[in-house]
Amino acid sequence: MSIIQTKDVKKWFGDFQALKGISMDVAEGEVLVVCGPSGSGKSTFIRCINRLEQHQEGQIIVDGIELTNDLKNIEAIRSEVGMVFQSFNLFPHLTVMQNITLAQIWVRKKNRAESEEKAMELLERVGIPEQAQKFPGQLSGGQQQRVAIARALAMEPKIMLFDEPTSALDPEMIKEVLDVMKELAKSGMTMIVVTHEMGFAKEVADRVMLFDEGMLVEENTPEEFFNNPKSDRTKLFLSQIL
Amino acid sequence: MVDLIKKNVKSLQESLFSSIGSSVLTIATTYLVINFFRGMLGFALTSDKDWLAVLNNMQLYMVQAYPEEDFIRVWLSVGLTFVLAGLSIGIWRSEERVKSSQVFNSFFKGGLGVLFFTIIAPTNASFMGNDGSVITEEVFSMDSRLGILIPVVVFCVIFFSIRFINVKFTVNSSDMVFFYLFIPVALLWFVKLPTIQLDQNNERIIPDPIMPIASSTKIPWTVIFVSFLVSYFIGMYLKNIKSIKSIMSLSWFLLPLLIFSWIFKKPQIDMSLVLGSDLPIFGVFLLWGFLVITFVNNSIFKKYYSTYLGVTFLLTLAGVFSGLPMLAKTCLLLITLFSVVVPAVSTSSQGKRSLLIVWAVALVTLTFLLRGGASDTGIVVPGSSIFGGFSLTWLLAIFGTYVSFPLGVLLALGRNSKLPIIRIVCTGIIELTRSVPYITWLFFASVTLAVFLPAGVEFNLIVRVLMVTAFFSGAYFAENIRGGLQSIPKGQYEAADAIGMSPFQKISLIIMPQALRAVIPTLVSSAITAFKDSSLVTIIGLFDFLTIGKTVIGNQSIPVNFVGHDRENLIFVAIVYWIFTFTLSRRSMKVEKKLGLGER
Amino acid sequence: MKNGLKALSFFRNVVFLKWASQIIFLVGLLYIIWSYIQNAVVNLEQTNIAFSWGWLGETPGVSIAEGMYTLPNSGRQMIQVGMLNMLRVTVTGIFAATFLGTFLGIARLSKNYIVEKTSTGLLEVVRNVPLLVQIFFFQAFVLTFPRLEVFDVGTYNLHVSAKGIAFPWLNRQPTAYLFWVYLLAILILANRIYKWRVQILEREGRETRPFLWSVGIFLGLLVAGWYGGYRIMGIIGFLAGYISTGVDLLPAIFYQILFSSIAVFIGFKSTKKFIDSKKSEEAQGIYSDDDYFKIILNVIVVLLVVVLMFSSVGLGLSNFLVGDEIVFKADWGVPQFFDGVNNKLYWNPEAKIVLDPQLDGMKRAEIIDWIAVPGTEVTEGDVVARATAKDLKGDLNQEISIYAKYTGVIEEVFVSEGDTVKINEKTYDIRVTDSKPLELSRPRVEQIGTTKFKRYADGYGKSLSVGYFAIWLGVVLYTAIFISEVVRAGIMAVSKGQSEAGLSLGLGRGALLRLVVLPQAIRVMLPPMGNQYLNLAKNTSLGIAVAYPEIVAVGQTLYNQEGQTLPVFLIWMAFYSTVSLTISTIINYYNRKMKIVER
Repeated sequence: MSIIQTKDVKKWFGDFQALKGISMDVAEGEVLVVCGPSGSGKSTFIRCINRLEQHQEGQIIVDGIELTNDLKNIEAIRSEVGMVFQSFNLFPHLTVMQNITLAQIWVRKKNRAESEEKAMELLERVGIPEQAQKFPGQLSGGQQQRVAIARALAMEPKIMLFDEPTSALDPEMIKEVLDVMKELAKSGMTMIVVTHEMGFAKEVADRVMLFDEGMLVEENTPEEFFNNPKSDRTKLFLSQIL
Repeated sequence: MVDLIKKNVKSLQESLFSSIGSSVLTIATTYLVINFFRGMLGFALTSDKDWLAVLNNMQLYMVQAYPEEDFIRVWLSVGLTFVLAGLSIGIWRSEERVKSSQVFNSFFKGGLGVLFFTIIAPTNASFMGNDGSVITEEVFSMDSRLGILIPVVVFCVIFFSIRFINVKFTVNSSDMVFFYLFIPVALLWFVKLPTIQLDQNNERIIPDPIMPIASSTKIPWTVIFVSFLVSYFIGMYLKNIKSIKSIMSLSWFLLPLLIFSWIFKKPQIDMSLVLGSDLPIFGVFLLWGFLVITFVNNSIFKKYYSTYLGVTFLLTLAGVFSGLPMLAKTCLLLITLFSVVVPAVSTSSQGKRSLLIVWAVALVTLTFLLRGGASDTGIVVPGSSIFGGFSLTWLLAIFGTYVSFPLGVLLALGRNSKLPIIRIVCTGIIELTRSVPYITWLFFASVTLAVFLPAGVEFNLIVRVLMVTAFFSGAYFAENIRGGLQSIPKGQYEAADAIGMSPFQKISLIIMPQALRAVIPTLVSSAITAFKDSSLVTIIGLFDFLTIGKTVIGNQSIPVNFVGHDRENLIFVAIVYWIFTFTLSRRSMKVEKKLGLGER
Repeated sequence: MKNGLKALSFFRNVVFLKWASQIIFLVGLLYIIWSYIQNAVVNLEQTNIAFSWGWLGETPGVSIAEGMYTLPNSGRQMIQVGMLNMLRVTVTGIFAATFLGTFLGIARLSKNYIVEKTSTGLLEVVRNVPLLVQIFFFQAFVLTFPRLEVFDVGTYNLHVSAKGIAFPWLNRQPTAYLFWVYLLAILILANRIYKWRVQILEREGRETRPFLWSVGIFLGLLVAGWYGGYRIMGIIGFLAGYISTGVDLLPAIFYQILFSSIAVFIGFKSTKKFIDSKKSEEAQGIYSDDDYFKIILNVIVVLLVVVLMFSSVGLGLSNFLVGDEIVFKADWGVPQFFDGVNNKLYWNPEAKIVLDPQLDGMKRAEIIDWIAVPGTEVTEGDVVARATAKDLKGDLNQEISIYAKYTGVIEEVFVSEGDTVKINEKTYDIRVTDSKPLELSRPRVEQIGTTKFKRYADGYGKSLSVGYFAIWLGVVLYTAIFISEVVRAGIMAVSKGQSEAGLSLGLGRGALLRLVVLPQAIRVMLPPMGNQYLNLAKNTSLGIAVAYPEIVAVGQTLYNQEGQTLPVFLIWMAFYSTVSLTISTIINYYNRKMKIVER
């Protein structure tokens, strides 16, 4: 059964239509890679899923809850969906530990000891337990992004959204982040990843999608997508980035 | 040593006489500066100035008409501040060390300064008499010039040469504070100046007797100095206690409240009110807090938690606009906040116990302070207020900041809000408040505000001034904070949303701490401006520090005639304001550098 | 379960919550405001001082120490004097503070140790002492000089006494305004000529001597102007006369309709533009809740303006603009303004001659006979009337002559023979036909009538009252210090890389500052500079502390007289807001202009 369902989602920024009717399904445990040229609406789309942007027409249903103006639904969906941003967006005034425990304490209402334990566990999972007491500004980009992943995981989400997680990183740091993501994918997490890392897509994706000008151009398995694309737009895109 | 002098001479030459234009500029400026100082010294020393008008009125300056039999309260206030300062310096003791040569160097420089003034001081100075004729008199004789010059030269030479002896002696920079404070306290005992004394018929004894300066204050100052020193050592000892720093910050916040509501005020406590109103309210809220803490983990409570919060919030709103006692209103506000915070903090039984203690202590403090603040004063003073002179200036400055800062935060948030009506209203309030000068708001407080209050409700002028100051400084604080809010990237809001925080949590935990940190320097300069602006209350007839100097002493003719000595008093007032603002701005610059905010 | 709760779910709808909370907030706020106004109404009823504007038209019965009219005939005129006094300090102060501040700012960046330390020292002193203390000090400084009475009557070069400071000055004659306008015009012309010559230089590449041209023409026109040519500017007054007559014919309702139509038009235009932007092909006419709010707000604001325009407020405003003599016996309306321009800037400007103010102690004068009648041409010094001056009780009579102060044609006589006039009241208007626009004169100390009191004579040199001196020096010095910080920061922001680039081109330090650094620094400096100007304007309100009659002091005098504190407060608010808005508009204009230059 599908955990995310969207039907004909449309979104405008003033005069500009960013999404022109996106319909898709994501099954539980599936890893979906979304790619496309910049301005194609792929980031807007995944930001609509946890309502950082508000869609204006169509339906988005996450885990059986429809995303409407209802406050309760928005809260419920946000607590099930974790998000990792391109620019990390760690809280610079808090230590790594506080960054990870903050939401557990204030949103999940866990006590401090419990949440610190959880945070250490997650830091070990992403491979930087020794950085717990540092401030984000003292870490490298790759380490910061791994903290961001740990922060999102601390909420125990069912779905993880990645918005170009590696495009603000130096090449040598990309690998450490991708490794964490691969490990996460193998553990059975449902993931939607917006990225240009085609290697990652080939290796772990169950499906690959191509967005262009606010429309879903192609949806395919990785093998088919890379070796035997259906549309000409995909061929052009692949020829440009590969 | 010769090399050093050569090097110095060369660098001087480069900076002062690098070109003809520069040389002309140097000579012209030097001429101007020297003549300015000569003029100032001549001005200060001519016989038409009476500096006793300042010296003899220190008591008036500090506390105006505060009765002498209760002075122990004033000294206690000052003493407590110093004790807290000593503790703080001990706790935040820096590990920075000052080399002895640096200290000697500053002595040498100070000596040079005195030397400079002694040399340029004019022998004769003139002033215009009442009949328009110019009177010239000797103000600084050759004998007294030499009398100062010779010891100072010796002093300079000693400290100049001592720098070259290789002493590896260093002093902790925090310890130096005590050394610098020790000097004026010791001087109180030894330096003698003319003092005004009156004979049996209340006539001035001329010539004025020469006595140690402020002979009435040298003992309290010494006691304060000693307790300052003692608390410094205690502070060093307490340094490692957990969360001592936050306790100290809280004490600094509470100290002015304690001083102004209890120590300075000497409240007359009505026990029937304490028993009949304070204790029941205290009990109810203590129980309420206790219940919240006890049932926080209960599943039924958890289920209806949001309903409980909503009801509490509505109760608070209704309570604040009702006729409940002030204590109940404040407690309602506090319990709302407490109910929000508790579920996040306590679960273990130990955590619960400490939370209960915190709640009880907070309630006791609040009850204590409010009872003191609301009671009548036992101090009998002629005039309307027990606050006058410097104590009033401080009251206005501190409480002005206390009330305006939270309002500034709210206004800034409102102006930055996504909700259009709230944004429009807050923008309107800020812009309207800022468009008119402070003095018009003070007039509003003194004459117009009463018109808008319900019949029977009357506030003291000082309270009304604080009310308008809240809005006026608040609007300026709001603009500063808004600058900080705008510097927070959009991603921070999104990240907080994405991890499911509520708007209140997002603002208080993520956005505000960052925004405030970004604007500390501008906030400090706004606070300094507010301190300076507090002098404007002199125009609406409050007896602040400036009023004492300008009006009270300027019109004083009994027992000693000081009429027409405005200039001396204004210079003294200016110097005192200068010391405080200058120190404050220098400290803030240091903090700014520490935070690395100055560099971009 | 989910469906069962659906009916209640609008309570959790974010859009509903958003607007419900705002409307509750607004209603709460309006309720609080309303209840305070109710309090005010009740309280004012009890004290028998109902809120009114009537006092604006009544004679206040107090005098003002200095300003355009010292004995104002209405509350409005008194406020006008206060406003002008405030603007006098503000405008001259802004120029002086900018000049001094720039100078100090550059001095603080000097490599010269003494110059730098001196200016930094000045900064630290002035910045850290409250402005009020400084102003009091300047006041005390002048006040402790001997009283004026101890000095001899006579002419001085520079004179300081407890009454103020006096120094030589170019005194304005009635034609001075005409000359200022002429000067401005030829300055603009010279600037245009400079640009035109530079254009030719750039296009044709030949030496066109733009500087020589513009300065030459400027000087030529200046000389020609001084010897009478400036009167050509009288064309402005000539035209203003016709405009005044034209506007006078308009009824008040014209402005009401005009303003409402403008409001409707603007509202309609902006709403339509907004809707059009939503109608485009891609947006498909979908509106969010905020968009609806915007449209509704537009409509509400327009309706509010229209209703206001046709209520008593609008009528009052219109009466004010047409200068209705019945409701407002003011000289403030639009026709009165153009009338004023007509008088001041006509080729023979009008001057008012008042009964000689030397006769203090003498309060009234009875005109015996007029020698000059309207249409007579008189030269300076001619006797135009004879009168008997009387003191307050009327038992001391003294025959005096009234002399013509200017050469010209008598325009209008205000009093007839046998009338008694107050001293300082104007007795006739004259069209000035022959006078230099400016004359240098030195201050004079004179006796007031036969009393033992003395004063600085009017029209001789310039004398500053103690209050004016203190407030002016205070705000200028204080603002200049803050401006110097702005200038320093601006130059520092630019100078790093730019200085190196400039030096590598071989520019000297002066040229570098003038040609490369300052033009760029000004862009950085403008917004904070504007803030300082706003502060200066607001700080002039401290004049009240040293008895300088600016708007706040005058307002206080008025409400002490009439008890109308609330209207006075509203006037303060309106006036200061207008001044602030004007200053920020000017600064924004230059800011935009600078940005265009940058591109």
